[in-house]
Amino acid sequence: MATPTRRAQHRDAAGLPKRRKEIRKIPTGIVGLDLVLGGGVPAGRMTLVSGGAGSGKSMIGLECLLHGAAAGEPGILVLFEERAEAVRQNAWSLGWDLASLEQKNRLCLLAARLNPEAVISGDFSIKGLLAILDQQVKAMRARRIVIDAVDALLYLYDSPLRERQELYALHEWLLDRGLTAIMTVKTVPQEEAPSRYAFLDFMADCVIHVDQRITAQVATRRLRVMKYRGSGYGRNEYPFVISPDGVTVIPITSNVLQHRSPGPKVSSGQARLDDVLAGGYKRGTSILIVGTAGSGKTTLACVFAQAACQRGERVLYLNFEESPESMVSNMLSPGLALRPLIKTGRLVVQSYLPEAMGVEEHLFHALKALDEVHPQHVVVDAISACQRMGSEHAAFEYLMRILNACKERGITCIYLNQTTGLDIVSEISGIGISSIIDTVVLLRQLPIGGVMKRQLIVMKSRGSKHSEQFHEFRITDRGIDLVKT
Amino acid sequence: MNVRRREGGRSATAGGETYVFRLFVAGNDSNSTQARENLARLCEEHLKGSHEIKTVDVLKDAATAHKNNVLVIPTLILIQPHPKVTVLGNLSDTRQVLAALRLIGDER
Repeated sequence: MATPTRRAQHRDAAGLPKRRKEIRKIPTGIVGLDLVLGGGVPAGRMTLVSGGAGSGKSMIGLECLLHGAAAGEPGILVLFEERAEAVRQNAWSLGWDLASLEQKNRLCLLAARLNPEAVISGDFSIKGLLAILDQQVKAMRARRIVIDAVDALLYLYDSPLRERQELYALHEWLLDRGLTAIMTVKTVPQEEAPSRYAFLDFMADCVIHVDQRITAQVATRRLRVMKYRGSGYGRNEYPFVISPDGVTVIPITSNVLQHRSPGPKVSSGQARLDDVLAGGYKRGTSILIVGTAGSGKTTLACVFAQAACQRGERVLYLNFEESPESMVSNMLSPGLALRPLIKTGRLVVQSYLPEAMGVEEHLFHALKALDEVHPQHVVVDAISACQRMGSEHAAFEYLMRILNACKERGITCIYLNQTTGLDIVSEISGIGISSIIDTVVLLRQLPIGGVMKRQLIVMKSRGSKHSEQFHEFRITDRGIDLVKT
Repeated sequence: MNVRRREGGRSATAGGETYVFRLFVAGNDSNSTQARENLARLCEEHLKGSHEIKTVDVLKDAATAHKNNVLVIPTLILIQPHPKVTVLGNLSDTRQVLAALRLIGDER
């Protein structure tokens, strides 16, 4: 439910309630986050980003400033904890040149680290900081401000009341200047005074919580919008990554309604298999190829990929089982020449070790590849390996999101799944995604008359006729051959 | 270290050095006014004649505040004699301020 409540009514300077309307938003420029926030952070208001150490709060703030700088909205970064030089260096490692933005007066890093040796005697306020900020805001006509690690400021006060008063003073100052502000605050794990900064949540118009957690030895970052006055927002927890491109939040933008309707048939790369499938696979649908190890799943997928590339289409092959090199050389045996296709750029093979990174980072790479390669077809080899990204849940999330992304773009998606047992049918489900799979092709090997025979059957083909028989097939040195029955 | 301690906190300027202070205030808000008064009294009692106070109003001169990284008001900086000392607050705790300025021994 994202209906604005009565609290959504803001009051103007005279304290009169304004008419309810959708508030003005400033895009953060962070991929995905703006989607989750329904456009961006509230303009001229304060957004609180809370999270533990190393959870990525500061990165979100900094990136918002950088996008502002690029969009002609200069910004100030107030650093209560980190040294300006360290921030510049870290940004540099991401390819962001803060110094040049500072020279152009688009960005200002304001070191506000308090002298740890200072003696405190009696009451004080942060008017010095506000005076400095005032001067800076005027000098560079700043529109955005990020106050990083505001908790460090609060440690100065031993009275919660004064702490609160000073933060209200800061908040008032921000509102008076009409600055779009992001304040980051470190949250400590539960036991240590959970309510200490609760008032910050009340003060802020938008509250975003980020965290980093470890599941099955794989670190994942999550982001959640806790509140947004006067606006709807995505209510889920969203995975996000910090990559060389900055912060990327991966929202579930997809719902079934956005999926494109399946297109015309596309050849499986094998004429007889096309007959079995009543013309081939359907474009923009999802296909699951299931079978035991060595049953020919990869070969079947590569036959399809080769045919597609030869037609001038592009295929993205996400391989979690072997390197592009070994895949290319293994496919030479059934007579598939993939290397030339890779050279032309029509076939893009990306190999990743599932356990090398968290699910959101895998997703990030996959979605980035989708945007860069613009493939007509995607192969994931194999979804059984995806469980090593952390858990079965992680794999499910990964596969669902890829599938959704493909369906939105009208991309054919071929998932390979390796079954371990002989009771294949029960394993077809493939990490619970079977319900959204349009076509299931099952491969098996059976000892018949002292020889292993390969068989193929189409178990399901949504919205299309298909043969319901087992078909014997061979893997020859010229691809796959279906035996006529 | 109890060497410079004097009963009743009388003058303790070693070698007659001039004490140079910079006091950062924000207009005439109550903490700033108190700090001005407290500092004046303290100098009167302990540094008779051998002190110099430069007051900076951050509302008028934010640049100097920035240069000195003065975020908190009031801030008192002892510039001379070295080493530099920074005291934050309205200077209401006289003993603590004197100790920080090395005018009496630290009682902690």
